[in-house]
Amino acid sequence: MGVSKRVEINALYGGLMSIVLDQLIRWYGNQAIVDQVSLEVADGELFVLLGASGSGKSTVLRLIAGLIQPDAGRIVVHGRDVTAVPPQQRNMGFVFQNYSIFRHMTVAQNIEFGLKIRKVLASERARRRDELLDLVGLVGLGNRYAHQLSGGQQQRVALARALAYEPKVLLLDEPFGALDVKIRAQLRRTLKEIQRRLQITAILVTHDQEEAFELADRIGVIERGKLLEVGAPETLYAYPRTAFTATFLGTATVLVGRVDDGHACFGSLQLPLPLDSTIDYEDGDRVQILVRPEQVVLSITEPKTHVPVIGRGTIVEQSFAGDRRRLRLRLPHLPGVRQIAPVAPFGEEGLLVDTVVPTDVPLAGEAIWVSLRAWHMLKPPPRRLLLYDPAANTSVTPVLTRWLAEKLDATVTVLGIAATNEGIDPVGTMLQRYLDAADLPAELHLRVGDAEQHIITEQTESLYDLLVLGCGESTSTVATGQAPDVRMIERIARGAITPILLVKGSRTQLTRILICTAAGEPGKNDVRTGGRLARRFGAMVTILHVSHPVRGVSLLANAHLERAAATLRALDVTNTIQIYPSSTPAEGILHVAGTGDYDLIVIGNHGPITPALFGGSDVTRQVITHAPCSVLIVPDDAL
Amino acid sequence: MSSMSRPNRSAGNRRGSAGAVAQPSPWLPVGMLIVVLLPLLLMPLAAVFIFAFRGGVGAFIAALLIPDAQFALRFSLLIAFATAFLNGLIGTFAAYVLSRYRFPGERPLNIVVNLPVAIPTVVVGTSLLLLWGPIGLLGRWLDPLGLQPMFTPFGVLLAHLFVTFPYMLSTIKPLLDELETTYEEAAYTIGASRWQTFWYVTLPALRGGIFTGALLTFAHSLGEFGATVLVSGNLRLRTQTAPLYIFAQFEAGNIAAANAVAAVLAALSFVIFFFLLRYTGNGR
Amino acid sequence: MKYVTLAPYLRNVIPLTLLSTLALYALWPWLPFTREAIAPRTIVFYGFSILGSVMEQAIFPAFQAQWYAQTGEQVEFISSFAGSGTITNQIVMGVPAELALLSLELDALRLSEAGVIDAESWHDLPERGVVNRTPFVILVRPGNPKAIHDFADLTRPGIGVVHPDPLTSGGANWAIVAEYGAGARADPDRPEAGYDLLLGIWRNVVAQAASARSARTQFENGFGDALITYEQEALYDQARGRLQAEIIYPQRTILSEHTLVVIERHTALAQRELIAAFVQFLWSEPAQRLFVEYGYRSVYEELNRANPQFGAIHDPFMIDDFGGWPQAKRDIVEGIWKDRVLQELEQ
Repeated sequence: MGVSKRVEINALYGGLMSIVLDQLIRWYGNQAIVDQVSLEVADGELFVLLGASGSGKSTVLRLIAGLIQPDAGRIVVHGRDVTAVPPQQRNMGFVFQNYSIFRHMTVAQNIEFGLKIRKVLASERARRRDELLDLVGLVGLGNRYAHQLSGGQQQRVALARALAYEPKVLLLDEPFGALDVKIRAQLRRTLKEIQRRLQITAILVTHDQEEAFELADRIGVIERGKLLEVGAPETLYAYPRTAFTATFLGTATVLVGRVDDGHACFGSLQLPLPLDSTIDYEDGDRVQILVRPEQVVLSITEPKTHVPVIGRGTIVEQSFAGDRRRLRLRLPHLPGVRQIAPVAPFGEEGLLVDTVVPTDVPLAGEAIWVSLRAWHMLKPPPRRLLLYDPAANTSVTPVLTRWLAEKLDATVTVLGIAATNEGIDPVGTMLQRYLDAADLPAELHLRVGDAEQHIITEQTESLYDLLVLGCGESTSTVATGQAPDVRMIERIARGAITPILLVKGSRTQLTRILICTAAGEPGKNDVRTGGRLARRFGAMVTILHVSHPVRGVSLLANAHLERAAATLRALDVTNTIQIYPSSTPAEGILHVAGTGDYDLIVIGNHGPITPALFGGSDVTRQVITHAPCSVLIVPDDAL
Repeated sequence: MSSMSRPNRSAGNRRGSAGAVAQPSPWLPVGMLIVVLLPLLLMPLAAVFIFAFRGGVGAFIAALLIPDAQFALRFSLLIAFATAFLNGLIGTFAAYVLSRYRFPGERPLNIVVNLPVAIPTVVVGTSLLLLWGPIGLLGRWLDPLGLQPMFTPFGVLLAHLFVTFPYMLSTIKPLLDELETTYEEAAYTIGASRWQTFWYVTLPALRGGIFTGALLTFAHSLGEFGATVLVSGNLRLRTQTAPLYIFAQFEAGNIAAANAVAAVLAALSFVIFFFLLRYTGNGR
Repeated sequence: MKYVTLAPYLRNVIPLTLLSTLALYALWPWLPFTREAIAPRTIVFYGFSILGSVMEQAIFPAFQAQWYAQTGEQVEFISSFAGSGTITNQIVMGVPAELALLSLELDALRLSEAGVIDAESWHDLPERGVVNRTPFVILVRPGNPKAIHDFADLTRPGIGVVHPDPLTSGGANWAIVAEYGAGARADPDRPEAGYDLLLGIWRNVVAQAASARSARTQFENGFGDALITYEQEALYDQARGRLQAEIIYPQRTILSEHTLVVIERHTALAQRELIAAFVQFLWSEPAQRLFVEYGYRSVYEELNRANPQFGAIHDPFMIDDFGGWPQAKRDIVEGIWKDRVLQELEQ
């Protein structure tokens, strides 16, 4: 039976893999510190698990060693399922950060310990011990005790001890973390040499990307228990898929722009989209660009026209690193662009770009042109919806949100606001029940205090594609936040770059959409955003223009309606144009929406500063207040 | 002003060591401390030895050779050895469990095991009598069976185990808490079973602590009076420990006999204390 | 900081050697080759405090010799001496005493009340259980600097009296009856004469000890000007030239009587014969002579002439003169001393 199982697993993994982790899960409380980690490490490979402290990397190592048990998943070593095998029988060497040299034993006794346990003859033990002392470069120190050795020497002993019984696998948990830089470099070389010579499969855990680069055949980046990316050091550095990997592996400038017209747009800078058939870029999608310091070109004079230029900036920070000088430049803000890395200090409005120059290059005092020599587009992050539904009425909003999430292929975050700290738990319970009732998978964010403030903060801190505000009647006993009134919605909308969906009425699907170009200057954004959503929803669109009852439709409006229709056609969205004369646009919109059985009104948020013909924001306010169905407010700034 | 400060400064320089902040002479506070300690600690101890040898060395030895004195000393030593050994086992085990396992009720249990330090020994004696004595909760069932631990050496041992329980625990548990679990985990990955790990890795790391704890336990057992006087029945040649003998002889006016044994006890304590200092001080 | 340097191997050798020496010493009598072949027979004897010397030095050896001569068996005495109340409490709590010599009958009564012995079983013994007697006397500092000649002198202001505690000491109970009786008998027509004397003396009590013996120790350590105690104790020390005090015989005082009880339920069947022999021995002439030699007055009056130290007492009295211990305890110790004297002193 053992044989047949072995064959099966070998067949499964081709017999090449030294270590196979299959969907490993380990819970800590109700949090997965190792979350479905699957990994294959080849024979003789030195694999480095790289992650910040608390990322779960050491836990993975301890799972492999058998020091803790996974809650789910399998560990296969050389074709043998060892998931249930105790650590003693896994035949692995383990090196700890704190060396863990047995203090009452000499170096020799420490090294021989594994052999003694295995009842190896004394003469054989001595031979092996001498070999290992030689291997780790500690000849002559066999009779010392741990307290007579330096940290580096102790770690060499630990390495020798772990290798003494010729394990199949060597596991190292931050082995150089407690050593100073010089010793660390020496030991890395020693480790690499030994690993190469013995051809032993090794997994090393570290938080130090330099160490990972230097040692690893392959690196696995781990964050919050999830193995994000695996790859060769150079590949991961140059072509990471996620922003986390990009920023974790070295200095990075990561910016978020939008796809427009088949290009990745960062303000005025347009870059070609990568020719990656697996990713279907759509206009309006977010796109992330990674620029490594060495890919930035600085020049005093304006670069030639075909060179992608970010702008002109000044040096705000610099640090001397021997042969190089690290620089941070501040450039003017690019409209519609958000910065992920470097993390901007609070209140920073400009764009920050990190770069590096040779130390002997003189630094100019004036503004410097910043352009790109090369760049890398990261994998577009999943779309995200932020739901705030204080009424927690389960009949409409969550059902509609689920429908939206499915249509937009988005993940949902629900914001719950408690009035006091004591209120947090009831609100959490309440919302969980609410989500369960609608069968809506979502992440819960619970906050205390002012709803408006938290919504704005949440929006600025994370990248959401849509903010969903429930405006239904409350049926719950626990308030999960203040109900959004018109003024609050206005204030949220004022600073928002995210479209806001106010859920009203009883529709749980949005298949009839009314896009209003009410004000004399119909926004391009309203049409684009509404159109893109309509395409996703498979909805029918009516473009509404409320004309002056006396003057009729102006030439400008006419041209604009034509352009809007063309845009929608380009998006493959069925649309009609309706012109409705009314002295007050709001009344017109509400009348059409009421009689036309629409599910959604799309309206621009032109803000109070726009001197609209019929009184700009007042229209928005009236529509928000009186609309019989849901309303989508599209901000000016949104692309 | 300046003419005044000059001689002062030069005087100060001459007195103080170069560059150091002028430190006041230590002799005043040290002298005061000695004046306080002299009647408090040093003189009473000296008195024991002075009185013990007042009748000459011959009388001192004669007083020690009284069979009762011999028995009391031997009995005390045996009880102390047994207490140190048993509490060495139980205390190490308790420390291991309390340090290595997390379980509900851990905190209260931690307090309970240290309770004997806080309980007056007389109360310990009384409570043992009220449990095991002929009229005690358990004793009333055992007595008809002819089992009576009180007023026997076993009863004395019980009392001493109770009173000295925390000493072993409190020396070993901090060591275990400090001994990171990685040492044990290292042994596991190397291939050592739980038992081998305990025997080859954990226990040797606790060696110094166990020795210190055993010495402390031994010393406390040797001097235990309050609980012993109640549970022993104070029977000469049966259950009379050295402190009980000293007290009985002192009460009976045989100061010389009492002092001879007291001097031996004091000397033993000094020796134990000396080793305690060496072992804890050298920090093995 | 190396104040002591030892060769490394000595670091462990020295404590180990010391420990094994201690262990060897402690275990010596129990080691197989040092152990006596036959375990001796034992008698567990509890006695009140002042009995210690006469029993251990004279009575036990004498009986051991006699029993050995008769049977060829070794007898070992396991004994404990403390205040009469203390040993009574211990026996009630269950110490395995086979015999107890108590300083007053009241303690025997307490044992029978606790069910340890049969009621008044000691009355079946010779002399109703009384083994020996001794009068209560006053000890004063050498030269009698405070000129104390009788109980009445102890009531003078400025005199410090050391007295055992009636709660734990049998002797203290005797002393209280002695003090009260002396007053009452000196002035039989005045009912309050006894109370007045008792109150007067207790005004001057400066130290209370747990037993008669420890009261003596306190007095010898310099406490007070006078000690009310057993004549025996004073005589015993006087005979050995150790008495650093003078004995004052009051005109009137009580003769304390010491009661033996046999705790049968602690006495195995096989022990009965041995215990009975020892009980018989206590009232034998050789034993009584030994008591006299150690300063006790024998229950056989004619033997008392053998000790010339015994002082003359003008008006000796007994507890039976007050109706026996139960009544004396109730009327005098409780009724007068505790309820009236102590109350008065507290105010």
